[in-house]
Amino acid sequence: MSQSNYRLIKTLLLIFLGIWLVFTLFPLYFMIITSLKPVEEINRMIPTFWPHTLKLSNYAGIFADPGSLKSLADSVIVSVANTALSLLLGTLAGYALARWIRGAAGENLAFWILSNRMFPPVAVIIPMFFLFDSMPWGTDSYFSLIVLYLVFNLPLATWLMMVFFRDAPRELEEAAYLDGFTPLRAFFRVTLPLVFPGMISVAMLCWIFAWNEYLFANLLTGTTVKTFPVHIPTFTLGSQSLWNLIMAFSLVAMLPPVILFIILRRYMVRGLSLGVVKG
Amino acid sequence: MARLELQQVCKGYDRPILDRLSLTVEEGEFFVIVGPSGIGKTTLLRCIAGLEVVDAGRVIFGGKDVTRVPPYRRNAAMTFESYALYPHMTVFENIASPLRARRMDEASVRKAVLEVARLLRIEPLLDRRPHEVSGGQKQRTALGRTLVAKPDVYLLDEPISHLDAKIRHELRRQFHTLQELRRVATVYVTHDYAEALSLGDRIGVMGDGGLVQVGSSRDVFERPNSIFVARHLGQPSINEVPCRLSSDGGLLMLRSLEGNLSFAMNGMQRALLEKARSDVLVGIRPQHIHVANAGSAAQVDNARVEAFEALGATGVLIAETDGVSLTVLTSPEEDFEPGQPVRLGFDVEQFLYFDAVHGRNLQA
Amino acid sequence: MTAAPSNAASAPAVAPDWFAKKHRRGNLIVNPFVPWVMVGLPVAVLVAIVVYPTIWMAYHAFHDTNMMSLFSGNWTFVGWQNFATVLGDDRFLSSVKNLIRYLLFGACLQVVLGVALALILYECIKNNTVRIVLLILLVLPMMLPPSIVGVLWKFLLQADNGGFNHLLINLQLLPANQRIDWLGTRLSLWSITLVDVWQWTALPLLIVYSGRVSLPPAIYEAARVDGASRWLVLRRITLPMLKEVIAIAFIIRFMDAYKFVDHVSVMTQGGPSESSELPVYIAFQKGIREFQVGEAAAQAWLIFAVAAVLITLFLKYMKRVLKAQAIA
Repeated sequence: MSQSNYRLIKTLLLIFLGIWLVFTLFPLYFMIITSLKPVEEINRMIPTFWPHTLKLSNYAGIFADPGSLKSLADSVIVSVANTALSLLLGTLAGYALARWIRGAAGENLAFWILSNRMFPPVAVIIPMFFLFDSMPWGTDSYFSLIVLYLVFNLPLATWLMMVFFRDAPRELEEAAYLDGFTPLRAFFRVTLPLVFPGMISVAMLCWIFAWNEYLFANLLTGTTVKTFPVHIPTFTLGSQSLWNLIMAFSLVAMLPPVILFIILRRYMVRGLSLGVVKG
Repeated sequence: MARLELQQVCKGYDRPILDRLSLTVEEGEFFVIVGPSGIGKTTLLRCIAGLEVVDAGRVIFGGKDVTRVPPYRRNAAMTFESYALYPHMTVFENIASPLRARRMDEASVRKAVLEVARLLRIEPLLDRRPHEVSGGQKQRTALGRTLVAKPDVYLLDEPISHLDAKIRHELRRQFHTLQELRRVATVYVTHDYAEALSLGDRIGVMGDGGLVQVGSSRDVFERPNSIFVARHLGQPSINEVPCRLSSDGGLLMLRSLEGNLSFAMNGMQRALLEKARSDVLVGIRPQHIHVANAGSAAQVDNARVEAFEALGATGVLIAETDGVSLTVLTSPEEDFEPGQPVRLGFDVEQFLYFDAVHGRNLQA
Repeated sequence: MTAAPSNAASAPAVAPDWFAKKHRRGNLIVNPFVPWVMVGLPVAVLVAIVVYPTIWMAYHAFHDTNMMSLFSGNWTFVGWQNFATVLGDDRFLSSVKNLIRYLLFGACLQVVLGVALALILYECIKNNTVRIVLLILLVLPMMLPPSIVGVLWKFLLQADNGGFNHLLINLQLLPANQRIDWLGTRLSLWSITLVDVWQWTALPLLIVYSGRVSLPPAIYEAARVDGASRWLVLRRITLPMLKEVIAIAFIIRFMDAYKFVDHVSVMTQGGPSESSELPVYIAFQKGIREFQVGEAAAQAWLIFAVAAVLITLFLKYMKRVLKAQAIA
């Protein structure tokens, strides 16, 4: 291929990439400017692409509003608790499946665990709604969300941790056994440090799914527990949505996953590539 | 007492690997197991270590039956073929690992590790990570970890196979001089027969299912009990010439089945062969054939050179005579051209005779 | 010191006694009980929160459970009636058509785009910092809560003063006096698909990019030395090695897409007039809002069964074709 041909194609491809980038970022850009506009400007017939007046007080309002703060806190509680639980159970099962439960039984079991992720949450929620309703803790509780989010996070955590454990060389554990370490000590001393980057990416993935979850939260909770995806649509004045507040709050709620991703992206890329390429 | 005993040990996966294998390695003995790749040498070590559970039989360390004891409670130490060094720990911590398992105090740990590191000449590397040191240094770190444990049995799985020749030579020397390895029983596995012959007090040749022959290196080399053993020990490989016995004017003749090589048998060999069936596999080691100069006696006059390699200390000549290819050891200073005629002399006294069907040494 | 009696040249003709009687002895390292307990805990949890609902739904799919009978407990067995109703329901069938369009132009398109973008990003941009920055920007949509994304796009896709229409106008792609009714009956499904593509293309992109990053450079150097053209390298080296990764990205997207209702819930509620309804959404409505639990259960089961079959078939196909280690 000639140089100029190649250059031409490369340019076209980069333009394509550029277009996609604009497409991706435009809504976010609009979101940011909307969050900075006063309500009147938003409701104009022809929207402005650059705010005519800046109203930072939209943001201040959020932090002053106890409802908003509580929703963020609730989200934190539910997502962190669920991530910890998913990771703990997933690591246990993943390790057992990677090292000891071999053969047909092991493969089938692992596959069944993963297949639970295929299950529509909608199908889970109908029975669980009625079930939890009749339980002492009710549907509107931290417990119900923390437990129900395991439906999609636990299979994911188990599967990924299993792959990571499979990648950790067995011989190192065997060397530790010969050194005199019991399996438990060997696990913490040798295996865990090896899979640690993987664990971080698993934790991050689970946390993001839990943080962003809307359906279960919307159906089951709303008063005692109100995570932010449920809280946001309540920014209305009569029948009018207060878009500026909605956008502002959304941006605030979006920050943690984005920041986490930026900081931990290397782990995530490595984790995903290890888990996906090998698994 | 730190003697190692294996009694009728059996282990198999989809096929039997160790079939009623019994072995005793005395305290202080350096026992080398040699055999082709994949035959089960590592499996045997793993059974001794406890990483595999035997299907039948017993494993005994110093009189104590450890067959059902988990590896972390047996007092065995093993050097893995792949070194199995902990990548996230320094060389120091790698070596210290067995001591950490015993929760030894810091001062004693330091002392022990430094002592071993000094012995193996890896002291300057103690702060480095495994990926920052060379292959030979990794191997010494792994060895250090094994030595510092002061176990009841040392197990070494092809520890120097993956190193280049010069380092192998140096480390072989170290194995010879390490007194620590003489304290208890040591089992050393290799596929390199030269290492085996050089290092072992006794060597065991491993074949399908177990140890085919056990004895001192001299014994096993000079009196192999089967063609398999003879084939496996020796470089270049022993020449194998299938022959037929026949009577020819009162002489017992050995005639090669292919080609036209023949030898007259007399004396002790004649007596031996008369008891044999008519077909015999004759084993002739390359060092027992020589190129005859003009004028000296030779059994074969019409050989031709096929190929010649000058390998530093020796020369390896492949000569072809009457359809039979023979490998001959010569002096490296010779110069042979392909197609060149040579005359070969044979040291007939040194021939080995094997049963043509089972491969058993007829003289055993 | 006895040596084993076997002749090393050939394998024993008959398997020895102990081998024939051999049974799995396990290992010495852990009590065989332990791994099963370790796996058992999460399995127990999953059984409680997934298997129980599955059975519950399967049970009620064959009964006429609805609002009244649900709480009183007297529901009657109706056999396949629910399923028949569902399959005969035009609304359901048109939602299935919607789903097919949605998956084809959604999940499939996302994978194609994701692969293309990942490779463009990797091959055409050599500066590492720029690459990282772009990757982060491109992956942002995935990090956002889908419900918020729905809300955002609802805002943007408003016909009259929505930002998207006006962007198109400013870019001269739309005449100034026209407005596209994105959320109207005709286009509502495509808008949902558009939003899905916007948000989730990042996932295949990230997965394929990660896969590409972890490919061994040695092969590429060899290809370069051999003088292979970039196009050839792409076709013969990169894509084949990424086959597994791409297939996995596709499965993950597919598994998520068919059961995903956040966007529909937030943006269109299936409307206007059921134009953007997806099967799972209908099941959800019927179950939770209308309490037609029997029908909803039948719907959910149908959807799940078909999807499970498709995915399993695809996985088996993948396993065979790629000879790769199974996902499990």
